[in-house]
Amino acid sequence: MMIIKHTLRTIMILGAVAAFNASAQIKGLLQVSAVKGDSQASWQEGGVGLYRFDSDTDGLLLSQGLLDFRTDLTTAWSAHGVINAYQDPEPTLGFTQAYLQYKPLTQSKYKWHLRVGGFYPLLSLENPDMGWLSPYNYTNSAINSWVGEELRTLGVEATIKRPGRSFNSAHSFSFIGATFKGNDPAGTLLAWRGFALHDRQTTFNESIAFAPVTSLNTPQLQFQANQVLPFEEVDGRYGYYVGMHWDYLKQSQFRFYYYDNNGDPAAINYSTGQYAWDTRFSSAAWLYKFTSKTRLITQLMSGRTAMGAKRGVDNRFYSHFVLLSHKLAQHRLSIRYDYFEVTDKDDWAFDPNASHGESITATWRYQLNQQWQLGVEASALRSQADNRPSMGLSPRISQQQIALNAQWRF
Amino acid sequence: MKLLSIILLMLLAFSSQAVTLTVYNQSQQIQPNVVVWLHPKTPIIEPRQPETKFIMGQKDRQFTPHILVVEQNGLVDFPNADSIMHHVYSFSKSKSFELKLYREQPQDPIKFEQTGVVELGCNIHDWMLGYIVVVDSPYYGITDEQGQLTLDIPQGDYTLTAWHEGFSDISSTESQQIIVNSDTTRYQLKQVLIPRIAIGVDEYDDY
Repeated sequence: MMIIKHTLRTIMILGAVAAFNASAQIKGLLQVSAVKGDSQASWQEGGVGLYRFDSDTDGLLLSQGLLDFRTDLTTAWSAHGVINAYQDPEPTLGFTQAYLQYKPLTQSKYKWHLRVGGFYPLLSLENPDMGWLSPYNYTNSAINSWVGEELRTLGVEATIKRPGRSFNSAHSFSFIGATFKGNDPAGTLLAWRGFALHDRQTTFNESIAFAPVTSLNTPQLQFQANQVLPFEEVDGRYGYYVGMHWDYLKQSQFRFYYYDNNGDPAAINYSTGQYAWDTRFSSAAWLYKFTSKTRLITQLMSGRTAMGAKRGVDNRFYSHFVLLSHKLAQHRLSIRYDYFEVTDKDDWAFDPNASHGESITATWRYQLNQQWQLGVEASALRSQADNRPSMGLSPRISQQQIALNAQWRF
Repeated sequence: MKLLSIILLMLLAFSSQAVTLTVYNQSQQIQPNVVVWLHPKTPIIEPRQPETKFIMGQKDRQFTPHILVVEQNGLVDFPNADSIMHHVYSFSKSKSFELKLYREQPQDPIKFEQTGVVELGCNIHDWMLGYIVVVDSPYYGITDEQGQLTLDIPQGDYTLTAWHEGFSDISSTESQQIIVNSDTTRYQLKQVLIPRIAIGVDEYDDY
């Protein structure tokens, strides 16, 4: 963990240096939103609402603020980082990504590169914009909302690619393998909140609080804090993931990943109240361009997560989404359907973790010029969670959220 | 009057005229995108002045143009019109180089001293593919959609050299002697062309 912290610190310092370095590339984005939130309090405010905002946050707010930089250290090594600023739930400034990349120029037809530091596994085809934002909907899918808040690689990733161009083939393949520390509590939010829908990425060292879930007051869960520190190292073990990308002329793009944080569910850090969760999942994503203007993006994730020496909390999770996006001149219309569920497999009846839901999200974006983009998004969801009644709430809720957004980038 | 006629005739013999060349492939069909250059067998009295400045841009994550013909010792600029960085390289025998290109920081042009075919790639965007064909003549061009190109040249004997990206050996060219004595001429490629894939991309295909 110390090594990772040192690496991250080094990259952050390099980032600061980059600002004054000639071969640095710095981009940034500010997004201001006017939101009409749901009356159900957001998960960010200790509620059980699954949207990022609620009626208490109605009005103008900074929904995204980020700086994305890369700087070349040598011809093969570069430093990359993304700094995010948020005002919800508390004003925060921190890194969501900070890594070094080694990409040698090679005469071989096969290309390879390494990433070292803190970064996202490239599971998603929904988040290719600057700072892992989506250019389609503002609110991410349930899958990538969760990836953005509880998943991050603090380690080393190697990619070997067989580019179609080098072989005069329409097919390109990449094979990815990574090993990492940290990310032990991944899965905690799925147990006590379930999937949610938002674009609030967690910065390194940030914590995410739960609603006042009753079962967290039981003796069995007395050491679990009422928050998760998703990127913490708890059990001292290495996790891993492997992935495969298959592109057909970039018209069809397919990605498959298998992730296992190799968490020891018996391990706990008493001082921070974090367990290591044994979390593993498979993710398959596919992007298909019907034309250069119309595309389909779909992703499916299925996995399991457990904590406690006797796997007192043991859940399965599953989600998928289907997104259709159409670009017409300066306009982009995107509509997405999400389904998500967590199934409770353990016999701790006092701690019900099952939840499920579905949502529909429609977004219209208008690109005024290179710097400015305006957009409006409406989203509706209905969800059920078995732990809500013990908090005196209905197990089922329906929510809506409408937001007007203005984005400025440089 | 007689003298004038002789002078006129001489002028005709040595002065350039527009010659349209049509290139056919092995299936006797017109062939676009063939690079052709003509080298005169006898020196031309008033040859065209060589051009020295050329541009191979990068726009929308592709090389623009896809194929650039450069005269020997020509200087090529590589302006980056994209908001992201490119890392252009070549491992080709006739010119090997690498350039990190930011939009904000134009680099000095690169001189191409040797004739031959230079294959360009980008170490960041591995689908990007471009060619620079370095020729030893000021009389060159690329055939259009009709398989044609028009050159301003005097009549006479020439060595015609042709190159297409579908050649099985991408760094080789093929040549033939031709006589230009009218305003049209034709050339047939000696080898079968291999279809090359072109990967169309958009702004979100980097990720």
